[in-house]
Amino acid sequence: MTDDIELEGFEPADLDGHTIDELSDYLAAGRQPLDPSIESSPGCQIALAAMLRLRTISLALLESDVAEQPATDESFIAGILNSIGFEAQAGRSIPVQHPSAQASLILTEGAVRGLIRAAGDTVSGVLIGRCTLQGEVGVPGEPVSVLVDASVFWGESIPLAAARIREAIYAELLKHTELNIVAIDVTVHDVHLSRSLGEASVEEIE
Amino acid sequence: MEARSVPSLTDADDRTLAGRAADGDVRAFEVLVRRYSPLMRAYATRVLGSNDETDDVVQESFITAWQQLSTLTDPSVVKSWLMRIVSRKSIDRIRVRKLHVDIDDHEQEAPHSSTPPQVAEAHSREAALSRALNDMPAEQRQCWVLKEIAGYSYDDIARELDLPVSTVRGVLARARKNLIREMEAWR
Repeated sequence: MTDDIELEGFEPADLDGHTIDELSDYLAAGRQPLDPSIESSPGCQIALAAMLRLRTISLALLESDVAEQPATDESFIAGILNSIGFEAQAGRSIPVQHPSAQASLILTEGAVRGLIRAAGDTVSGVLIGRCTLQGEVGVPGEPVSVLVDASVFWGESIPLAAARIREAIYAELLKHTELNIVAIDVTVHDVHLSRSLGEASVEEIE
Repeated sequence: MEARSVPSLTDADDRTLAGRAADGDVRAFEVLVRRYSPLMRAYATRVLGSNDETDDVVQESFITAWQQLSTLTDPSVVKSWLMRIVSRKSIDRIRVRKLHVDIDDHEQEAPHSSTPPQVAEAHSREAALSRALNDMPAEQRQCWVLKEIAGYSYDDIARELDLPVSTVRGVLARARKNLIREMEAWR
């Protein structure tokens, strides 16, 4: 195919000396800074409008492609879930004392994060997100801070929820680990409305 | 009796889900897989120009995502991060195809039976664009999809496709003209 496709109405002669590429970059930059020679050229305006239409249709095309996708096959999902390994999230090793000097016991950081997540989730209306352990978890007695991300149901008191999350996590870590927890910081990043419960949630909670 | 309101993971926001998945929560990861599979499949099909390899590409993308989730510093951008991964996996496929078929200069277009489904494309505008994209040389289509649908910059595309930026600009200029011509004719 030839390198230069002639496109009637869209050549520099039609665009008061501008090129389609230039106009494309101009559009991509949000028409900033405003270029009077483009804005006042009828030819350019026609070309810009055509490009905007094309962009809108491109995005609409993907949306309709998505809408036409068949329901996701369960075997497709199973194929993914069966192929993922758990080593990726194991993280650091956290020692746990054992009565016998011969035995060495460790918890993985991933397991501890799992404990924290499960504890936080027991608080009403709360879902725990990312969880981070800061400090030398591998060295017994070193100060460790816990950072958790959480989202809270709309209508729950955030300070109250945060306090309950802290308590629940602290109790759980005390029970299962020997970590020297000096702080538990909770970041509430989202207040969510339940999409599935919707307005019926009032009845569910009663 | 379970009267306490337990928020469902299915409804959780991306940041919560990606954060949990990064920490090893498979259920949260599964919700992400269900949420973004249709988008990733649709997108991969556009980049690849057919749906023959879509399932494989999307599955590979999710497996890679799982392995690398802990490196994602801002879990709230997981959607665009997943799109980057599926772009890369799709491009890898195209590269492999090229290695096999590059003997002649032919455009190896997908057989017509496996081009993206056009049956239910209610909007004829979109159907026209779909046809125009399928009829374009593969390189033009890939560059166009990366630029206009995925929002890649010229530099990004050049890096991903291993082409000089000037080549990408040229290919995109031709793609743009081709598509404008098709779409304006349709109007």
